[in-house]
Amino acid sequence: MTYRKPLPQIEPANTTFWEGLAAGEFRVPKCDNCGHYNWVPFPACRSCLNEAQTWTPVSRDATVWSFSVVHRGPGAFNEEVPYAVVLAKLAEEPRGCIVIGNTVGIDPADLYVGMPLRIVFEEIPDEDVTVYRFAAAGAPDSVVRESDDADAALSVENQPATVA
Amino acid sequence: MARPRQAAIAGVYTTKQGKLPDRTSFSLQLEAIKGACDDAGIPVEEVDGIIPLSMSDHLPGTTATQFWAAQLGERPLGLMETGGASGALAKAALAIENGMCEVVVLFYGKAGSLVGPRGTAAADKAPRVPDWSFYQAGAYMTTWYALWAQRYMHEFGATHADLAEVAVFTRYHATLNPNSIMGRKGEITVEDVLDSRPICEPLNLLDCSLDNDGGYAIVMTSAERARSARSKPVWVLGGAESTYTDFYTTINDPWFPEEGKAVRRAANRAFEISGIGRDEIDVAGLYDCFTITTIRDLEEMGFCKLGEGAEYVKEGHCRLGGSMPTNTDGGLLSNSHAGDPAGMHTIEVVRQLRGECGERQVPNARIGVSLQQGWAVHGMAGVLVMAAD
Repeated sequence: MTYRKPLPQIEPANTTFWEGLAAGEFRVPKCDNCGHYNWVPFPACRSCLNEAQTWTPVSRDATVWSFSVVHRGPGAFNEEVPYAVVLAKLAEEPRGCIVIGNTVGIDPADLYVGMPLRIVFEEIPDEDVTVYRFAAAGAPDSVVRESDDADAALSVENQPATVA
Repeated sequence: MARPRQAAIAGVYTTKQGKLPDRTSFSLQLEAIKGACDDAGIPVEEVDGIIPLSMSDHLPGTTATQFWAAQLGERPLGLMETGGASGALAKAALAIENGMCEVVVLFYGKAGSLVGPRGTAAADKAPRVPDWSFYQAGAYMTTWYALWAQRYMHEFGATHADLAEVAVFTRYHATLNPNSIMGRKGEITVEDVLDSRPICEPLNLLDCSLDNDGGYAIVMTSAERARSARSKPVWVLGGAESTYTDFYTTINDPWFPEEGKAVRRAANRAFEISGIGRDEIDVAGLYDCFTITTIRDLEEMGFCKLGEGAEYVKEGHCRLGGSMPTNTDGGLLSNSHAGDPAGMHTIEVVRQLRGECGERQVPNARIGVSLQQGWAVHGMAGVLVMAAD
C-alpha cells in the first residue's frame, strides 16, 4: 500500500539529517561555539549567532512534553484516526529541543506528559526517505520492516505497544 | 493621559458570513472595500493606502499589493500590508498622522475553500512538504492549539470544563447577534462542549472556531476627514504589534513564561502608547480561534495573572454585564471565522463604541481594545486601543 501522507522535500542544507535517520541516528545541529543544540535547525545558533554548527547524533531518549490525540485528520491522515501527535522533549541539554512527531506502537490512550520515549526509524517503501517516530522507551530501534511488505508496515502503526 | 486624536476608524463593513457557494473571494473583498468606504462616506477613489490581509486575491506572478493597486485604478498607493489586523491598523494610524497616506482600507474575503482538515483532500501519492513541516505528523492548526491546551492544563491544573466556559459565554453573545452564524442554534452549556465530538484532544468541536466564507473591511482616515465622515468616528488611541517565533516549527520551553511573549509585548506597548489603563477597557475583542486562546489572551493581555485565565472567565468578567464584555458578536467560535478573521474583533469593538449593537450593546462603552494573533500559537500579535470620543 502506498504511503500517502506528507513527506519532506529535503533541502540540500538538511541532507545530513535525513541521511542520519537512514543510518539510525537522529542528528541535531550543535553549536561549535556555545554547545547549545538547536531544533529546528537554523542557519546560525539561536543562542550565540555562531554559524558553525555540527550535526550531532543525540541519545534519542525523550519525554512527552505535550500531546494530542487527533480524531479528524487532514488528507490521508484521516484514514488513520485516532492517531497521536506528540511534542517530545529530547534528553539533551542545554537548550532542550522540542520535536513534533507521531508515535508508533503506543496506544494513544496511554500517553501522558512526562512519558519516556525513544526515537525510532521507519523506512518509507518506494520513497527515498526514512522518517522518525516516537516509541515507548525500551522499544527496538527500528520499525523498518525486513520485508517490503508495505501493508504490514502500515498496520504496525495502529497496533498496541507489544507489536513494535 | 490619553493621546490626542489624530486618526480614526471611519468605516467598517462585513459581508454575509457563512456558506457562500455563489460568491468568490474576490467579490467578497471588493464588496467589503466598497461597503466600508460607503460606511465612511469616502469614495473608493480616495483610498490611498491598502492593507490586504493574507489570502487576498491576486493574479499569478504579482503580489496582493500590486494586484490591488492595479485593480483599484493603478493609482500610487501607500504600502501598508505588513502585520495582522490590529497591528497593521496601529501602524496605519501612525502613517496617517505623519502624512504618508490619508485613507487606508484593510480588507479580507474568502469563499469556496476551507482552512480546517476537511479542506485537505487525500493525495494518491505522498505530497512533499518542507523539511520541518508539521504536516508530516498530521498536525494542523487545531492540533497545535490542542498541544498548547494540553501543556497549559498540565502546568496550571486547568480542566477541559474550564476551557469550555469560553465557548459558553461567546455562544450566549452570538444569540444576541442576528448576523452571527451560530446564534440561531441557541445557548450551550459546559456539558454540551464536553459532549461534542473530539477533534484534537483535549479540544472538541465546540472548542473550535467556525470554518466559513465571508469578507470584511475597515477604513481608517485622518482626524479632519473622520469628523466629516458619514459614520461616527472611532478614534485610534494607540496600538502595537509583536512577533516571537517562526511558523509552528520552533517551540521553546517554557511555553508560558512569566514575562509573556508576543501578546504581552504588544499589549504593554499599546496600553502605554495610548495612555489607557487595563481597568479602563469597557469592551474587548480578543482572538478566540479556540477556547484555550481566549484564556491565554486574557493572561497575556494582563487582564489577569498567568494561570488565572479560566478563573477570570468563570468570574463572569467577559460576559455581557461583566466588567469587560468580550467578543460580544459571538467571536470566532460562534459568530464567524472566514479564514483570516484578524479584523473581525476590531469591527465589533468599533460597532460597540458607536453604540450600534442593539441587544448586545455594552452600555456607555467608551474605550475598547482588539487583539489579533496567529501564525503560531500567540506567534504574531497586534493590539489596538480605541475610543468613542
